[in-house]
Amino acid sequence: MCSIIVKNLSFKYKNSDEKILNNINLQIDKGQVVAIIGKSGSGKSTLCNCLCGLIPRVYEGEYSGEVFINGVNINNMDLSEIVTNIGIIFQNPSTQLFSPTIEDELAFGPENLCVDRDEIGKRIDKILKTINMEDYRYDNPNYLSGGQQQLISIASVLMMEPKIIVCDEIMSWVDEEGKKIIKELLLSLKKEGKAIIIVDHDMENIKLADKIICL
Amino acid sequence: MNKSKIDPRTKLLLILILSTLAIIYKQLLFLSLIFIISVLIALLMRSNLKSIVIKLKRLLGAIFAIALIQSFFIKAGTPIVKIGNLSLLTDFGIYKSIEFILRLGIIISSCSILTTSTSREIVQALVQLHIPYEIAFMVSIAIRFLPVFKDEMTDMIIAIQLRGIDLKKVKIKNKIRIYRYIFLPIVTNSLIKAKELSVAMEMRGFRAYPHRTSYNILLMSGLDYLIVSMSLVSVAMLIILI
Amino acid sequence: MEKYIELNNITYEYKNGIKVFEDFSLKINCEEFAFISGKNGSGKTTLTKLIMGILKPQKGNIHIFSKDIKNLSLGQIGQEIGYVFQFPERQLFTTSVIEELTFPLLFKGEDKKNVLRKAEELLDTFELEKLRNSYPHLLSYGEKRRLAIAAVLMNEPKYLILDEPTASLDDSRIVILSRTLDVLRSRNIGILVISHNKNFIGKHAQRIIILEGGRIIRDEQI
Repeated sequence: MCSIIVKNLSFKYKNSDEKILNNINLQIDKGQVVAIIGKSGSGKSTLCNCLCGLIPRVYEGEYSGEVFINGVNINNMDLSEIVTNIGIIFQNPSTQLFSPTIEDELAFGPENLCVDRDEIGKRIDKILKTINMEDYRYDNPNYLSGGQQQLISIASVLMMEPKIIVCDEIMSWVDEEGKKIIKELLLSLKKEGKAIIIVDHDMENIKLADKIICL
Repeated sequence: MNKSKIDPRTKLLLILILSTLAIIYKQLLFLSLIFIISVLIALLMRSNLKSIVIKLKRLLGAIFAIALIQSFFIKAGTPIVKIGNLSLLTDFGIYKSIEFILRLGIIISSCSILTTSTSREIVQALVQLHIPYEIAFMVSIAIRFLPVFKDEMTDMIIAIQLRGIDLKKVKIKNKIRIYRYIFLPIVTNSLIKAKELSVAMEMRGFRAYPHRTSYNILLMSGLDYLIVSMSLVSVAMLIILI
Repeated sequence: MEKYIELNNITYEYKNGIKVFEDFSLKINCEEFAFISGKNGSGKTTLTKLIMGILKPQKGNIHIFSKDIKNLSLGQIGQEIGYVFQFPERQLFTTSVIEELTFPLLFKGEDKKNVLRKAEELLDTFELEKLRNSYPHLLSYGEKRRLAIAAVLMNEPKYLILDEPTASLDDSRIVILSRTLDVLRSRNIGILVISHNKNFIGKHAQRIIILEGGRIIRDEQI
């Protein structure tokens, strides 16, 4: 069963002269880890934004082609359907964390989806145990290390239980120790059967990939 | 864990009461009384009054200057300092400036009560008081990013001095040019951050539905009802007696 | 004149009482490429800020090129040592790359022709020629860093401090940054770099200092 199917995807940003994505075709299966590599400017982040629907919802431009998430065309999906199917984590932890405590941060996503309080509580307990940060539940995310902050960013996305995770250069601002704990988490998500897309330019970070796509 | 078990709505009520009393009353005696009560309540709730006062130290000069300048413009009352026929300072003027400082003190010390709740709790209080989530949330984001902006501004002022522009020696007419240089990157960086933040929030389902649930719900405890009733009774007594 | 940076018996603690350095001393040769590494919180950035006079130690003194920095203003320190922040957007102030290089000197009233000549030369050296009219904040991280380095070099400092210059750069961009370091070496400008990138350190370091908990746990000449 294919988690993601991309057919003839092309995109040009509104203020740009050239197409940044040209007729992209790809397929990602359930439980697969796919790495997307390429030089700066080759369209890696643009592709990520297309996969999770930010293009064309948030970013304007000329868009053609189709993206299917778990069999459904992403343009026919509401926001609530999109975020429960696919989640994305970005480079900069400080603009992804905005709550005073980690508990609040984790609750933010499911609260937006009107998940009931008991269920939110259960998910928080489970996630904190998975990332081994139960002691930090009431701490302020601002005071964590870069690696821990990215763990919380990933955890906040996992709270909505998406089956696909997109990681857009998430280890750029993380030190060696942080990279290690993030890679461990990604590995355990892979074992759980989640499809993971990793965009990175450091070959060290994409060793757990089953397939590599070069843009 | 929460610093204080008092419901943020109770705190909001206290701030409202104290600030309103400060504006209604003019007599220095009552204002001083309200000021002392306000400070006592703030200290009782273990709010960050001390650190706020330290931060305000720098503004102290400006506060006194405003108070003094205000009094220069008030001609009523018996003059105390005169230059020829022009009265610079009157007793009524000094009275008014003390009134200003006391009012400011009441507002600052009562608002410091809010520092004992997290921004999420305050947002929840506003939501449970039927203020739309989006508005309350915008305020909490502003609070979250205020220290970040402060850090950035500090770094920028240092950076521009390191480039050889000594801010203390710059003439006043050129100061505006310099602030333009600092203003620009702050605005640019804020816009970039705002975009990144809104994208992250979108991908966590923000406004996916017209409503949302709340994981942590505020419940008024016995202590809250006690404080609320005591405050309302005190206010009622104050209004009746005075 | 001695080309050294000396930190003598520095004690520094944050406002909340956490001690970062206690009786810390270090002598850095300004003709060398030195690299500082260490876990987050070990004091690396604080150390560089102490050297630049951005932070002031509670005890001890710091000398740069034989001058006690207590007697120098930030502007004067900036003439001796160029500092590039980890987040270059905090030191870019104008609407075009060329203006970014020229505005401080023009503001101080230096000769326009001279300033422009210096700026053109640096644009060329740091491969920023094509971007001369671009908006600094819209450049990529690598380009912003090169711009920040070029901008501080307009003051002709004798030494440069770079905080995590390779963060968020891909391999091809790190190669360009390496070329930048080679340019500095050719101009006899020593550097102090905070970095975690082992390859980058291996390629350029003449001295490696590792900090932990405010102490030097390793100090090697290569």
